[in-house]
Amino acid sequence: MRPELLGASPVHGEAAPAVELQGITKRYGTTIACDDVHLSVASGEIHGLLGQNGAGKSTLVKILLGLVSRDAGQILLHGRPTEIPDPFAAAELGLAMVHQHFSLVNELTVWENVTLGDTGRPDADATCELVRSIGERYGLVVDPLARVEDLSTGQRQRVEIIKCLRRDPGILILDEPTSVLTLSDSRELFSVLRRVAQDEQRTVILISHKLDEILNATDRVTIMRSGRVVAQRRTSEVDERELAREMVGRELSKWVAASALGNLDALVDPALSKDPAMFTAVRPVEDRPAVRMRIDSAVASRDGRPLLQGLTLELRAGEILGLAGIEGNGQHAIGDLLSSLLPLDSGEVRVDGVPVPAGRPGAMHHAGIGVIPEDRHQSGCVLDMSVAENLVLSAVPSVSRRGFVSRRRMRERAEELIERFEIATPSPDTPMRDLSGGNQQKVVLARELSQQPKILVAAYPTRGLDVGAIEYMTEQLHEASRAGIGVLLISTELEEILTLSHRIAVIHRGAVVGEMPRMDVDIERLGMLMGGQQA
Amino acid sequence: MSDTTVLAEERIAAPRGRASSRIRSWLSGYPTLLTYLISISVALGISALLVMMTGTSPWTAVVALYEGSLSTPASVGLALDKAAPLLIVAAGTVIAARAGLFNIGQEGQLTVGATVACAVAIFVPGPGPLVLVLSLLGGALAGAAWAGIAAVLFYKTGVPIVIGTLLLVFIAVQVLFFAVTQPWLLQEAGPEGDVMPPQSELLRTEVWLPHIGEYPGLNFTSGVLIALALAVIVAVLLRHSVWGFKMTMLGMNKLAARRAGINAAVLGGTALLWSGAFAGLGGAVMLVGGNHRLQPGISENSGWDGLLVALVAKENPVFAIPVALFFGVLRAGGGFLASTGVPRYLVDVVTAVLVLAVAFPPAFRILRRTWQARAAARALAQSGKGAAA
Amino acid sequence: MIEALTLVLASSVRLALPLAFAACGEYIAERSGTINISIEAMMLGGAFSAVFGASITGSAATGLICGVLAGLLVGFVHANFSHRLTVNTYVVGLTLNLLVLGLTSFLLDLVVLRPSQVAVFAVPLLSDLPVIGPALFAQRWPAYLLWPLLPAIWYAMYRTRWGLQMRASGENPSAVDASGIDVNRRRREGLLLCGLLSGLGGAYLAVGEVGMFNQNMTSGRGYVVIAAVIFGAWTLRGAMAGCLVFGAADAMRLALPALGVQLNPQLLVASPYILALLAMVLFARSNRSPSALGKPFARGLP
Repeated sequence: MRPELLGASPVHGEAAPAVELQGITKRYGTTIACDDVHLSVASGEIHGLLGQNGAGKSTLVKILLGLVSRDAGQILLHGRPTEIPDPFAAAELGLAMVHQHFSLVNELTVWENVTLGDTGRPDADATCELVRSIGERYGLVVDPLARVEDLSTGQRQRVEIIKCLRRDPGILILDEPTSVLTLSDSRELFSVLRRVAQDEQRTVILISHKLDEILNATDRVTIMRSGRVVAQRRTSEVDERELAREMVGRELSKWVAASALGNLDALVDPALSKDPAMFTAVRPVEDRPAVRMRIDSAVASRDGRPLLQGLTLELRAGEILGLAGIEGNGQHAIGDLLSSLLPLDSGEVRVDGVPVPAGRPGAMHHAGIGVIPEDRHQSGCVLDMSVAENLVLSAVPSVSRRGFVSRRRMRERAEELIERFEIATPSPDTPMRDLSGGNQQKVVLARELSQQPKILVAAYPTRGLDVGAIEYMTEQLHEASRAGIGVLLISTELEEILTLSHRIAVIHRGAVVGEMPRMDVDIERLGMLMGGQQA
Repeated sequence: MSDTTVLAEERIAAPRGRASSRIRSWLSGYPTLLTYLISISVALGISALLVMMTGTSPWTAVVALYEGSLSTPASVGLALDKAAPLLIVAAGTVIAARAGLFNIGQEGQLTVGATVACAVAIFVPGPGPLVLVLSLLGGALAGAAWAGIAAVLFYKTGVPIVIGTLLLVFIAVQVLFFAVTQPWLLQEAGPEGDVMPPQSELLRTEVWLPHIGEYPGLNFTSGVLIALALAVIVAVLLRHSVWGFKMTMLGMNKLAARRAGINAAVLGGTALLWSGAFAGLGGAVMLVGGNHRLQPGISENSGWDGLLVALVAKENPVFAIPVALFFGVLRAGGGFLASTGVPRYLVDVVTAVLVLAVAFPPAFRILRRTWQARAAARALAQSGKGAAA
Repeated sequence: MIEALTLVLASSVRLALPLAFAACGEYIAERSGTINISIEAMMLGGAFSAVFGASITGSAATGLICGVLAGLLVGFVHANFSHRLTVNTYVVGLTLNLLVLGLTSFLLDLVVLRPSQVAVFAVPLLSDLPVIGPALFAQRWPAYLLWPLLPAIWYAMYRTRWGLQMRASGENPSAVDASGIDVNRRRREGLLLCGLLSGLGGAYLAVGEVGMFNQNMTSGRGYVVIAAVIFGAWTLRGAMAGCLVFGAADAMRLALPALGVQLNPQLLVASPYILALLAMVLFARSNRSPSALGKPFARGLP
């Protein structure tokens, strides 16, 4: 199955690296995604590939998997120059990728999904047996006859990994694997990876932008920045501060590094409360200001599945309330509810004491609730419209007269907002599609804040952004809260919650199960609440 | 469709040569024009071949088409009359398309529109002009209602618009047939005991759409003016009004539109209703402007052709004007073809082949880029192997 | 009464057969993600070519093959326009329908067609069974092709790798693509098979049932087939049931007046579409249609 691996010829008495990339370069038009990248990964190690969004990690991996053709450079597998023209060739050579999205067919069973990419007659019994045996060997238990749509996120990822492992790959690549997992699922994943690498001498490449993940799970790490490799280190010999510096390219305060790059321990370090940045960020809001919004015993469901089960929440003026919880416990539903996309079966939402009809299009918006949705380029903006148009999506009447849009007024407004929110765009007429993720996020933020909301709902506001953009967003949200806006921060990343919030509420199975001020945060208790245990 | 196209073009990065890149990018503009020329020539070639099969020279057919549609003021008028309902249908189609809804049931909406317009014209008493207006309105309302069924099915139970509107076409055809076979409804009355044909009686002349101009000079029904006015109004509203802005937003990103406070069911449903109303009005115009009598097959596929006009015009109401005119010229000329021994169905074939010919080049451009990208990858793989060896 | 039942049943099956062949094809196309509207063109083209081929060669069987090839040709054009080039599948489908309708009408005025019909083959013994005998076992011989065809299609869709890939292409094309399978190629194959089977259906209508071609002969039967597949909730069994029900509606339209029963003929003609819409209303919520049905696939699209 793995002739390359078995026949690997020793060079100078030392085994050749499993994967070696030499001088890989890839341009997309004028932008350079990978610039003369050198990377070397040994057999039996877990190798981290660390970098911010847009650093070139994904492109590099796509080249390795034959999904993208390189402009220059050479790929060596076990010391031999190799060409990987398409994904099939990559699979033949023992390269396998654990996909995060779009690679399972929900309507098919687990075994059908596992055998989908194979050739020859599909054999249900043999495939089921295979799924079971791989499951036993690595501790990835899943029912081969279950339909994928009935599985949880964690279980789906197990299926993904089984799909890869059954090909007996020499090299396993994972792209941001824990972004959809619970803490315990993540730990389980890392132990599986450890087994795969150490016990079976396979190579694992772990792509991430989270320092925690890299520090906990990898043996060596390669750090990329702006398409270049800037450092390669043994993980045991670096600390997060150095990683952060290499990744971002400048010195960061410990606080910013910890929050933006995902270091949980640092965020709850008592010493940190002396950090002035931390102090202004998380100090409690004083003298209990007025309640801006109250969600009372909200119950909602969709297609018979319960989404919210008696959720009660209070948001005060000028505070940032972080809603922590594990993915799939009702965060989407809250976002949808406050975007008027979800009607309530019972319960109510009040803004400044006035009830708002849930589910009526535009009602929440008119009541003064602004929303930065989690999938901003999918539902926060219209990629085929211009920046100027996107800045007025929900406020068209303000730039129109007698039912007609005034282009002049729209442009004026756009120019003003572009300047105020430092949006980098060639012109207000540039299509939204051409902006970077960070700037798209700024457009959404600018639009929502420019309508003077009473409440701002921010779902995963820093997901997928680079450090500069994260700092900007953090600053903007703090400013909004200082201006008296009640900010509801929805996130599954504790780092994000801990960095931004004044107060933390935990959501579990569609209800708030506990809350605490940021200053008195207790990670153990938070974790237990998120896991549904009484604490 | 356009959405897909844009995205697909976006994603496929064109490979870049080093020295020849400038020449290549200069060239890349032209092949599209060239492909248009080639694909349209192929389409015309196929048409010519068909004509030759009948033993007539293609030139004779072209002359006949010209004589039937453009040679005299009267024939120009005929072409205009043929184009008018197509343009009305197309303008409506554009509205739905802008809201991201693919209504393909115009044929049915048009049929129902013509039926109801006929009922109004026959049963409503009153002065001619008033009844005429009511009849046109009735047609539009009926078309809207017919599209409305599909809208309700979609927004209430999730039946895809394409399927809903399509299936309703064939039900509409039966509704018309039913109406003109029931003596108590619209069937023409005749002497006792006679078996009457399935058609309504001739409408009284006061409810006919007024004609502009006199035969043999340029003359056409006022339906042409209605069509032009509607196309321009739709173009202006879609481009400049808040309604058009919201419609565009809904069409481009339904989720974002809903988050921005747009009621997708209401706005989208309205778009579909308008689209149906236009098709229904088209049917009414055909009835009171041309046929003056309801018959099965009154639509002459105008619903389908109107839809094609909108698509060929890339869902732009202003472009739809010349496209509809071109279709109208073909339709008008078709009447003259028969005299040359070429069956008039040739016109349908030519229309369809031309639609495919026009659809081909932009799609081919995308495909060619994929091919080029793949070829570049292969070339690189080859050179890599060479270097390795 | 038995006699009338026998008669109606026999003619229901007879009228359902062309639909059934085409429905097999439409079923395959829809499972792989295409709502194939050009099926009307495939059937009409098949019908014309069958009679044309039979007139030239004098053999109805050869005509049948010509019909199949004509359907295949329409499928080929459609497949390449919509799943190789990226032209909207409905645009291509509608245009092809108008094209084939125009073309067959045009040619009908040019060529002389001779009536031609394949032979009836009555299965010994079985055809003597009461009521179902004449319906099932005394048809024109190509009708019996359906018997091996149905299990073959089921086997191909549910037991072969190709079928797995077809079904997956209709549900989640991105995932299929990520597995290294050419989604649009599978969908093209679906359309080709649909063309082949619909061509056969149209040919059967012409040289099997009627023995002649007349203008716009299929008159919307293709759309009835689409309705049947929807009515059958995208199962092969259901689609066949749909064809039988719609065939029965057609049979009744012809038979009822003779039996002295008054039922509006237009209602019967419209019934397939009405029933399909009702079925959609009932099924739409239960989400039985292939998830990616009617959605074009291009790499990089979500």
